Amino acid sequence: MFPWVDGFHWTPLHITFLSLFFSALILVVSTFISGAWRTFKDFRSNRAIDLCWRAEFAQLPEAERCCRHQLAGRLDARICDNAFDCRSCQKYPEFAALPARLPAGNAGIGYDDRLLYHRGHTWVRPEWDGTYTIGLDEFARHLVGRPDFVKLPAIGADIASDGVAWRMRKNGHEIRVRAPIEGTVMCRGGDGEGWYLNVLPHGTPNLRHLLSGAEVAGWLTGEIDRLQLQLAAPNATACLADGGALMPDLMDAELRADWDTVLAGTFLDS
Amino acid sequence: MAETLLLDRRWITRGAERASTARFLLWLAPWVFLLLLGIYAAGLCLYYGLNQTNMDNRFAFGLWIFADLSVIALGAGAFFTGFLVYILKQEDLKPVLNSAVVIGLTCYSGAVAVLMVDVGQPLRAWFTFWYPNTHSMLTEVTFCISCYLLVLILEYVPILLRNRQLRKVPSFLVFEHQFHKLVPVLAGVGAFLSFFHQGSLGGLYGVLRGRPFAFRQGFLIWPSTFFLFVLSAIAVGPSFLMLVTATAERLTGRQLVQPSVFRKLGFISGVLLAVYVAAKAIDTYIWLNFTTPRVGFGPSDFYSYQPLSSTFLFLAMVPFGLIPAVLLIVPFTARRRGLLLLAAVLTCCGVLLNRFVLTVQTLALPTLSFDEFLKYTPSWQEVATFGAVIAYGVIVYSLSYRYLPLFEAPKGENKHVSLG
Amino acid sequence: MNARYGMVIDLDRCTGCGACMIACAAENNVPPAQPRATYRTGVTPMLVRKATNGQEGALRREVFVPITCMQCEEETPCVSVCPQQAVEVDKATGIVMQIPQRCLGCRYCMTACPYHARYFNWWDPQWPAGMENSLNPGVAVRMRGVVEKCNLCHARLHSAMAKAAAEGKREIDPADYVPACVEACPTGAILFGNLADEKDPVYAAAHSADSFRLLARIGTEPKIHYKSTQAWIRALAERSTEHSGEAQHG
Repeated sequence: MFPWVDGFHWTPLHITFLSLFFSALILVVSTFISGAWRTFKDFRSNRAIDLCWRAEFAQLPEAERCCRHQLAGRLDARICDNAFDCRSCQKYPEFAALPARLPAGNAGIGYDDRLLYHRGHTWVRPEWDGTYTIGLDEFARHLVGRPDFVKLPAIGADIASDGVAWRMRKNGHEIRVRAPIEGTVMCRGGDGEGWYLNVLPHGTPNLRHLLSGAEVAGWLTGEIDRLQLQLAAPNATACLADGGALMPDLMDAELRADWDTVLAGTFLDS
Repeated sequence: MAETLLLDRRWITRGAERASTARFLLWLAPWVFLLLLGIYAAGLCLYYGLNQTNMDNRFAFGLWIFADLSVIALGAGAFFTGFLVYILKQEDLKPVLNSAVVIGLTCYSGAVAVLMVDVGQPLRAWFTFWYPNTHSMLTEVTFCISCYLLVLILEYVPILLRNRQLRKVPSFLVFEHQFHKLVPVLAGVGAFLSFFHQGSLGGLYGVLRGRPFAFRQGFLIWPSTFFLFVLSAIAVGPSFLMLVTATAERLTGRQLVQPSVFRKLGFISGVLLAVYVAAKAIDTYIWLNFTTPRVGFGPSDFYSYQPLSSTFLFLAMVPFGLIPAVLLIVPFTARRRGLLLLAAVLTCCGVLLNRFVLTVQTLALPTLSFDEFLKYTPSWQEVATFGAVIAYGVIVYSLSYRYLPLFEAPKGENKHVSLG
Repeated sequence: MNARYGMVIDLDRCTGCGACMIACAAENNVPPAQPRATYRTGVTPMLVRKATNGQEGALRREVFVPITCMQCEEETPCVSVCPQQAVEVDKATGIVMQIPQRCLGCRYCMTACPYHARYFNWWDPQWPAGMENSLNPGVAVRMRGVVEKCNLCHARLHSAMAKAAAEGKREIDPADYVPACVEACPTGAILFGNLADEKDPVYAAAHSADSFRLLARIGTEPKIHYKSTQAWIRALAERSTEHSGEAQHG
């Protein structure tokens, strides 16, 4: 196989054969090494979390990828093509200028005008000291109820936007809550506190991708519709309520439902 | 919504419909049994020696070599579909590409596993790499198949990493994202390697001067069987892929790919099969009229022994050759799934028959003037080991179908199919 | 000068007694057959086969044909097919050598040999207690899973060379190098010698009108010749469609 091994012959056939083989082998191994190296570089340059989120986003069903401007009634129908990252969306200024048309009536779940909402059902509140508090919105709280277990990141740890902020467990289901913004964890809350994390962003954060004000109503209406369809009885015709409020502690209720799909759709997981 | 009891729901792609866990395990059970039986048989052969088989000094190659050549031919769909999609840009075949990779992986890894039992001293397998004899077709086969198995494993890795739970590991997800961009390179190398090893498997027999039934002339160092094997492999690959996909559709009760994919695979298979039959006819003519008379052998030395005789030649050329080729090409068949699949089965039979003829029939036929025609029946250990390879393929494919997004169907559109 | 060791086997003299086979087995430490062995699984570097003229009754004639490795010279089939170069033709002697320790046991060489002169060790070698004392110390025992064949008693060649070297000679004494089968044959049917040496009796015998080689038309240039005064036996050399080709194994 190599010149110093018995049986190596310096003939054209032998050399051609081994050259071709080694070339093919080196090419194959290099593709793997190249993939691994690029992965390593992605992590080094902090592009990894964003790549993960974009890959996850691509796996979401179309119905869960509505553009916020469609939810706000500015557009008839549009699927987001930028993984909900309005901060880097070229079309955002153009769409944001259009008049909004919001659905009438109660969304069925409460929300706070003063908070900024992330599509993964977390809210963000800017604090006086430059930090931002992150909590779980009422929709998610009503759905999950009291989590069985919460795993928050350590103080001083960094969370990345659209990465995993914290994990919860309920009735054996693992929930990964998406971080609405990036930053370093300053304080930790919990289920009983009404908030979960307080983070300090690196520099001034761009919060354009978060929903606020009346937009949230349009979004939550759609979310309640999705929830109703996903929780419908197996062979029943789908029907949507035209009023009422979302029950709390849904996961503790006697419902036979595909909680995996419900949770995945709520927290934008695959 | 989800009425079926899925204990492994967390491992299944979100929104995908699958059979209940109990039904899946019931499906797997007989295959697992077959696999275990085969592993036991292989264990007997490894422990006691190859006397556990019915091979002997005259039938040095038996069922296992036939099985190896057959599954490698059937698994050719992996490299050929990759070649069609990435090199010839036939994008409409993309939906079956993952499935083809799984088939290829199980075929090749199964073949290599059987080879490790078939050789007398498996621990010396690395000797072929260390002291290669570049004149030998078997060296070529060993090198190319080993390298190609590596290619198939690497092509399977991105598919595996798309599993719902494995995706949750960030490094896996990012690696999958980066690596699947490089898969066209692997497809190209795979096509190159496959051309050579599919051909060399034919070359194994074509170079045997001592066996005039197998010996062929050819081009430079490659006998005609080299090219015929490549042709037959790329002809049967798409057909076998069609059969597996159709079986998967029937077993899961849902449409996995567009019907146009079947038609295209069938057409490609048919054209290649037609070319193969024509080439084989020319080759047979040259072989019988020029090659063999030179060494004092004639058709009666090959075709006057019952039960084989010339029936096999006729079978290979017409019912398993010309007829399915025509069926796969004509538009009449394109819209009739049943006929398409029948033609695919006939194609597979033809290629399997061809492999059988060259491996087993070559050894049965006499060479010395006082030799007799010999018979060979595989022992249960050989059959069980072969059965294990089939079971292994079914199990891996079933697991891949259940837990991985094998067919890139649009979300939520897996319709129930009315079959008929 | 390089030797080309070969044989001329006189089929008119071979009685089919099988002494050559026994001597070969003894010389090469071939283990006794296991319970499930058949006539096609034995290690028989020398194997006596029987051929007939295809007639019955008073017209029936039979001949015994000792088959051994033909030591092919031209594009030796087993040499070119071995994937790890475990077989080669020794230029000094013309003997086709096999390295059992390198043999993978793939049996491709067995498929390639037109004379079926290669044998696989289907079992681990085992001798009844005490019988290992009868083993030939000059020949290594082969493990199961490797192919072997006649190597013209290469151990005896080594002994002859060692003896010549001890006596300070450069060439061996031909009388010192006699393969076991040649030595054992009671009728002296096997003539062994150096085909490259024109003075060697085997050269004249190989070039006589009565001599032939099996399947010479395939073109591997075997160095084992046969001879017979009977035309029907000489006709066994090549494939003939009129010949019924009955054979039994000795």
